[in-house]
Amino acid sequence: MSDRGPVSERGLGAREDVDLLLATQEGVVVESAPKAEPQTPMEWMRQNLFSGWVNALITLASAAFVVFVFYQAARFLLVSAEWEIVRRFLRGYMVGSFPVEELWRVWTCVFLVGALAGLSAGSSRNRLPWPARRIVFGLVVLALAVAFLIFAVKTPLVWGLITAVAVEIIVFRQIGLTLGYQRLRRPLLWGWALSFPVVIIIVRFIGDGVAPRFWEGFFFNIIAATVGIFASFPIGILLALGRRSSLPAVRFFCVGFIEIFRGVPLVAWLVFSKYVVDLLLPPQVDLPDIIKALVAMTLFSSAYIAEIVRGGLQGIDRGQYEAGRALGLSTPRLLGLVILPQALRSTIPAMISHFISLFKDTSLFTAIDVTELLSAARRSSNALEFQGHSMETLLFASLIFWIVAFSMARWSQRLELRLGIGER
Amino acid sequence: MAQTEQNTEQTGTSTDEIIIATDVRKWFGDFQALRGISTVVRRGEVVVIVGPSGSGKSTFIRTINRLERHDEGRIIVDGIEMTDDIRNISQIRSEIGIVFQSFNLFPHLTVLQNLTLAPRNVRHWNRAKSEEKARQLLDRVGIPEQADKFPAQLSGGQQQRVAIARALAMEPRIMLFDEPTSALDPEMIKEVLDVMKELATSGMTIVAVSHEIGFAREVGDRVLFFDEGVIVEEAEPERFFNDPQHDRTKLFLSQIL
Repeated sequence: MSDRGPVSERGLGAREDVDLLLATQEGVVVESAPKAEPQTPMEWMRQNLFSGWVNALITLASAAFVVFVFYQAARFLLVSAEWEIVRRFLRGYMVGSFPVEELWRVWTCVFLVGALAGLSAGSSRNRLPWPARRIVFGLVVLALAVAFLIFAVKTPLVWGLITAVAVEIIVFRQIGLTLGYQRLRRPLLWGWALSFPVVIIIVRFIGDGVAPRFWEGFFFNIIAATVGIFASFPIGILLALGRRSSLPAVRFFCVGFIEIFRGVPLVAWLVFSKYVVDLLLPPQVDLPDIIKALVAMTLFSSAYIAEIVRGGLQGIDRGQYEAGRALGLSTPRLLGLVILPQALRSTIPAMISHFISLFKDTSLFTAIDVTELLSAARRSSNALEFQGHSMETLLFASLIFWIVAFSMARWSQRLELRLGIGER
Repeated sequence: MAQTEQNTEQTGTSTDEIIIATDVRKWFGDFQALRGISTVVRRGEVVVIVGPSGSGKSTFIRTINRLERHDEGRIIVDGIEMTDDIRNISQIRSEIGIVFQSFNLFPHLTVLQNLTLAPRNVRHWNRAKSEEKARQLLDRVGIPEQADKFPAQLSGGQQQRVAIARALAMEPRIMLFDEPTSALDPEMIKEVLDVMKELATSGMTIVAVSHEIGFAREVGDRVLFFDEGVIVEEAEPERFFNDPQHDRTKLFLSQIL
């Protein structure tokens, strides 16, 4: 604006005159608009960051602030932080007090899921080469991961296993790329659907198995989130449909269920679950407290999903119901083939957002004394030689949560892209 | 009310009369939309319903396949009385195709899938049979090349022709049209009317709410003029448009012609 100073002092009308003048001089009116000439970085900075002395001051002040914050953070991360604590307790963070001699069960599951993940990643991708930006980003992440592992993993066996998983994922991604989405869609759907029961069987039921009270650390967070997400999804859909039912009893039950479970904090439900779930079961059945808490979390989550799905259902035009009915579709077919595919598609962002928050909420199981990742992290900083280093452990736990949450978010974007076909 | 007491199964009527409506009444809250509609549609007949908006014409054809429940009177379609019995309703619906003003195609399915959904899931045809039928119908409505597109990728006229094909895929005996061209741009109306005319001349029983005078004159057997929930006038197209008897009909025609 500074170069326009004298002009603007003469008032708006005068300025318009000048513009007009410029326009007529140049002959073409459109030409008087600011030209999109390629700028050098210096020009860009002068125009955007240092166009006046106030602006320059603000620029300098914020730059100083950013540098200061970055310096502080870097100093903590690289100099004063005691990362030895993560190295010492890494296994505790991951699996808690899961018996060491039984860890092959967890590793088997990791390999299983790794194969599926590799196939999925490969099949959902087109064969285009990665752009340079992406390759650089990928290499940086890879380097950081390797550096971390070199530092944090102590035993050669674990080293070998991690490398094997990495190789496995790359190999299966390649296989997925070769076979393509069309051929893998169905097998993958089945694979993922069966993966969870298989994991539970491997961990709990092969041989002696490992009781749920030993499922700890990050392994627990994953299991709990998986249960919560996949069990609450169908229940939530049923509740949403029930809430719109023409039968008053069904409607009343669903509304009551949703409002009661949504209105009480999850922590409270986890604690209550010990008593509440027993009300739903015959007295002979005796479930472990953790399972009861998982049931409570599932019900809690399904109340939220019901409301998300209800929002999606409200967006469906009445004409869709009429068209389906007029064609003679029964109500279950109408809902399953016409209404829900459209309604659920529009709820993907809200749904994934809820799942991410549910995943993070699995850390609330600490309230019923489950040593999941976050509580394992906090507890480890009680060790005498690491007093006062809870920041490091919390940062590490947060990073793990963030990586998974971020992956879910990216996956949802891809899902939206793929399912968005035909809409608009 | 009376309908439930009477025999709701096969009602002995001449098989030539495919839709029999007797004193049909319908309320929306306090507003009475239909005040006693009685008419008989014969097999192969093309009936065009006209009337001002709010006259109950759409409501009436929607009662014929139970998108609206009629409160009083009787509706008998091909010998089956329309009652609250779900079996009667689905049996009647499978004999009737309807085309809406706003197309109501399924946006998440391709054109071909739109056409095969009901045959596969209601008639339980296999994929090959239903797809063959669907391609045949797309050919008939003149858009065989659009089979794998999604509805949103088509023009309004094309979408409406897909909607007609979708209704025909169930091999209905009666086709209802609820203002099929009202949402279309003028240049697309003709392509839809051409399909409807072809259908009419092929012997399909048609009940159409439409203000397309050309369509009514060319293929219509009878025109019903609805106003305030009653049939005010009923005549062959030529007489209806050239020599209307009632003042309300004259007024209406003077406004739309």
